[in-house]
Amino acid sequence: MISYEFLTSKKIEEALDYLDKFSKVQILAGGTDLLVNIHKESPRLPHFDYLLDISNIPELKFITLVKNFIEIGPLVTHFRLIEEPLIKGNFPILSTAAQTIGSVQIRNRGTIGGNIVNASPAADLLPPLIALKAEVVLTSKKSERILSLEKFLTGPYKTKLQADELLTKIKIPLLGDGYYTDFQKIGRRKALSIARLNLALVTKIDEKGVFHDTRVVPGSATPYPQSFPVTEESVNGKSIFNIDLEEIGEIVSKEMVSITGERWSTPYKKPAIATLIKRALEKIIKEAKTNEN
Amino acid sequence: MKFSEVNKPVKRVDAYEKVTGKAKFGADLFFPNMLYGKALHSKYPHAQIIKINTEKALTYPGVKAIITAEDIPNNKFGVIIQNQQVLAQEEVLYIGDGIAVVAAETKEAASEAIKLIEVEYKELPGIFDPEEAAKKDAPLIHSELEDNQVVHHRVRKGDVEKAFTQAEVILEREYTTQFVEHSYIEPEAIIAVPYEHNSLVTIYGSIQNPFSCRNAVANVLKVPLNKVRIIQNHMGGSFGGKDEVISSMAARAAVLALKTNQPVKMVNTREESILESYKRHPYKMKYKVGATKEGKLVAMEIKCIADSGAYACQTPFVTWRSVVQATGPYELPSVKTDTYGYYTNNIYTGAMRGYGSPQIVFAQESLMDELADELKMTPLELRLKNIYHNNSITASGQKLDNHQVSLEEVIAKAVKASNYIEKYIEYNKSQLGDKKRGIGMAVSFRGCSLGAEATDAAGAIVAIQRDGSILISSGLAENGEGLKTVFSQIAAEELGVDIKRINYMEVDTSVSPESGATVASRSTLLGGNAVKNAAQQIKRTITEMIADKFKVKSGDLVLRNENIYNKNNNQKIMSFDDAVDLANKLGVFLSAYGWYKAPDISWDEETGQGRPYFTYVYGCQIAEVEVDTATGQIEVLKMVAAHDVGRAINPVTLKGQIYGGIMMALGYGIMEEVEIASGYIKNTNFDEYLIPTIKDMPEIIPIIVENPDPHGPYGAKSIGEPTLELGAPAIANAVAQATGRRIRHLPLNLERVLLGHSLSKGGTKNDIL
Amino acid sequence: MKINKITVTFIVNGQEVTLKVGSKERLLDTLREQLQLTGTKEGCSVGECGACTVILDGKAVPSCLILTGQIGGSEVLTIEGLEADGKLDPLQQAFIDYHAVQCGFCTPGMLMSAKALLIHNPHPSREEIRTALEGNLCRCTGYEQIIEAIESVAKNCQ
Repeated sequence: MISYEFLTSKKIEEALDYLDKFSKVQILAGGTDLLVNIHKESPRLPHFDYLLDISNIPELKFITLVKNFIEIGPLVTHFRLIEEPLIKGNFPILSTAAQTIGSVQIRNRGTIGGNIVNASPAADLLPPLIALKAEVVLTSKKSERILSLEKFLTGPYKTKLQADELLTKIKIPLLGDGYYTDFQKIGRRKALSIARLNLALVTKIDEKGVFHDTRVVPGSATPYPQSFPVTEESVNGKSIFNIDLEEIGEIVSKEMVSITGERWSTPYKKPAIATLIKRALEKIIKEAKTNEN
Repeated sequence: MKFSEVNKPVKRVDAYEKVTGKAKFGADLFFPNMLYGKALHSKYPHAQIIKINTEKALTYPGVKAIITAEDIPNNKFGVIIQNQQVLAQEEVLYIGDGIAVVAAETKEAASEAIKLIEVEYKELPGIFDPEEAAKKDAPLIHSELEDNQVVHHRVRKGDVEKAFTQAEVILEREYTTQFVEHSYIEPEAIIAVPYEHNSLVTIYGSIQNPFSCRNAVANVLKVPLNKVRIIQNHMGGSFGGKDEVISSMAARAAVLALKTNQPVKMVNTREESILESYKRHPYKMKYKVGATKEGKLVAMEIKCIADSGAYACQTPFVTWRSVVQATGPYELPSVKTDTYGYYTNNIYTGAMRGYGSPQIVFAQESLMDELADELKMTPLELRLKNIYHNNSITASGQKLDNHQVSLEEVIAKAVKASNYIEKYIEYNKSQLGDKKRGIGMAVSFRGCSLGAEATDAAGAIVAIQRDGSILISSGLAENGEGLKTVFSQIAAEELGVDIKRINYMEVDTSVSPESGATVASRSTLLGGNAVKNAAQQIKRTITEMIADKFKVKSGDLVLRNENIYNKNNNQKIMSFDDAVDLANKLGVFLSAYGWYKAPDISWDEETGQGRPYFTYVYGCQIAEVEVDTATGQIEVLKMVAAHDVGRAINPVTLKGQIYGGIMMALGYGIMEEVEIASGYIKNTNFDEYLIPTIKDMPEIIPIIVENPDPHGPYGAKSIGEPTLELGAPAIANAVAQATGRRIRHLPLNLERVLLGHSLSKGGTKNDIL
Repeated sequence: MKINKITVTFIVNGQEVTLKVGSKERLLDTLREQLQLTGTKEGCSVGECGACTVILDGKAVPSCLILTGQIGGSEVLTIEGLEADGKLDPLQQAFIDYHAVQCGFCTPGMLMSAKALLIHNPHPSREEIRTALEGNLCRCTGYEQIIEAIESVAKNCQ
């Protein structure tokens, strides 16, 4: 039986004290993943003796612009990612991805921090956040460290978060001029849909129409979201006027298989992932061409 | 004909309590001293039970009692064949078989206690494919039987072999359909209360068919029917699904309630519901059709195999409807149809909206499009050449001569509203880009009510109270479709009173007349006639009473607008209230027991010839889709649905049936499938078993066609199921036009649309996590 | 024994309540079992069906995925709180008038999602209505008449 003592905190300090003092503490924020796992008594759920509710810590609910970064508190809900002008204006890809999560009810409760820490292979925010080179700030009573999100993730449902650490901030560097982003998703229905496959694309197009600094991060394609360097390199240096999208499609499929090997779902995902990158590139190229005119 | 209450969009009589949260569903009931029951389900799809040890579980704090098969007076039940185990005795036959049930003071204690029950199993090899089950040397699922066959139905007409030699075009195709979950949003709930009033046990809950439930519980307890009382509550959807699974739950709760002498409540979690409750049958269907070059059908040979799962449940009747309707509404001189049901160790299958028709309509309507392609004809042309008309003879040899056969009309109306002809031509041209559009149609005929499956009669009580208010009690149960409203409209119409006078009682088996089950889209037709019959008897009593007193002819009196009039001079004689007062004074009895028995029908099991149903309904649905050929996603853009319902008692609730049926069909067509691998069910909640959301809804255009039927009340027939059976094939036909590729297996999921075949991870539930 | 009871104070349908709740007790359990507000329904327990939707501090939320211990100081509105002074909320009346109800099990959740939408956006488009209700499954109605009911209220607000 899952049984635990319920702890609640309204201050980061206090929460860190709890994490320091007690062992086997499970953190509860929006609850949209955790309470599902508790209901299902999911084998993924580690044994815990304490449930620490952090959902009422106001210090973790901010979205601010600090120098060249947007800093986001982990308790920011998906709903706020969709609505907040700072996010919509700077990282529309994040708003778009958040809009595809679950339903209104889920988006009103689920948080960006929860999406990151739960580290589901199908998490909709992870591909755009990785593509945006987001960093996570992990705080414990004794120390604080910053990791790139991509390094923070270590496997399906696995991260480098230590038992005494709390995710306290997500930092996303602002994109400079000339950057374009897109998010694509395939689901089995039009709402309440877990990604069958998704893909985040961030790239810079210079005044000559050449791609630079391309970042390609698919979700539900690999055991956990990660960038696809081979695909990225194959896009970099190409021009929006003569890039061979079919070729990029083949490259992304191959790169996926090189990571996962041939699995039961590969026959579907190979052509589908090619479609997603082609569509993302097409959309960005169209946008870039419009901007040029 | 002019009506005052029927044929009108009267508001639902049960809407107020439902929009305020006051309506009590099974799980909302609490009784003093109530215990919570929880069942332990099998660990394997097929295993021998060596030993069950409940000792540890019994010591868990709060546990009051634990029952196993040993405690069940009669452990087998079933509506048609009594071979379903209330709790597994020697063997578990499917993954949802119950082994023991705990009653405890809290839900948590019950849930924890079942984990402490130790069961020693010997895992046995299982059969998970009905074709394997059909093999001669296949191990027996039910050892007391000779083989694994549940049933075999036939239809034989003409000489099929000879007819095929004369056919100019012959097509042979195989189609399959999947296990489907009813997905009522309310999980099953039952409360058994011992020794309440004069009953041994009273059962409350989400019960689709109170009388089948009573039969099962009384049989299991080995007590007379009058000792068991079933009271239906508001029910959160059923679609055929809250029958046997509820009977079994009610029987378990009843045994526990009597053992503990306390009320016992059992409410399934969604996972338990999907694991335990029966599904729609998956079918494998082999169709062979022969036609002339001009597109006239000459012969059809059909073999359908249904997976019955562990128990017989409704398989004998489900496959019977399939055998009757398998050719579709097409004139055929020669037909040979065989439908079979086989036991397997899969989850058992039973009634679900459509009842053996969604499968065969998918096959037959896909086949018609394939044949049209072969003949270089449009799907519309081929259908129009072959559909039934008045006086057509069906595959079972029945002449359709007692009602309007309106296929041509429903097709014409659907074709017009969907712009089918223009769009069909447009979408046949080559389309640029990944997204391709298509339009597809499906038509059907459907026998109304139970047919020759079973005796078909229903009763109702209409009782006028001292103050002129009216109570109706019928044995048919509101399933959410609007039955209470429709029956109240009929009584109000007959008695010429405002519907506000009427209160429709929940079914109480100790009061309501036994009326068979609320199934087979039969309620309006059968129950409506029974209500009408009762109301007419009262009307006669009232008019005779007044005729006697005022020395007028009773035949001259009419009841309308809350008054009684002399129809010769349109003069008001007295108000309805005054008439009730008069009856009170004179001691005239103003209640009546109405009864309606369906017209005679017949069936010869050997030849499959007869009059299987006394009347039929006809429908045509047309789907327009856009397929993303690079991802496999299907968007259903528009659905047009034309249905002949005889007469719409309530046109707005009827439209609600059409909208709901279409969305359920959309799920059946493109996303729903209970994934079962070696008997294990992989998707046990709504995060993995996907049903359509509001975002998946296309534009829906309902078209109500009215050709009053001589047998129906005011001419009304059926609507619930016909709306469901056409959507999937119409969508499949539209997808085939859009992509140029025919998919013969439901559902048309992403993988099938993109690759042409499905993908499966295989393994058990645990492998997926 | 690690399970503790938490004392929590919050507002339900305008009334402040102080309750002792278990560490695993969900808002859904508290409403249905401690407060006998059984209009809020349990359909899936994993936030997929929407039958348990209530309005928490102005937003539609799944009460099956919230522990009551989390909501101290908050304000909850349930289906029982929609009818004010014996008068139905316009949405409730519209659900009756437009036949947006069949079995009625999803109805309370649907109404709460619709109410939350209209609180923030009194004149939603059809597409906005569909988005607001995407987390509420209905197996009976096919959704059409539910949309029509909400549209009628949105129109009358103008």
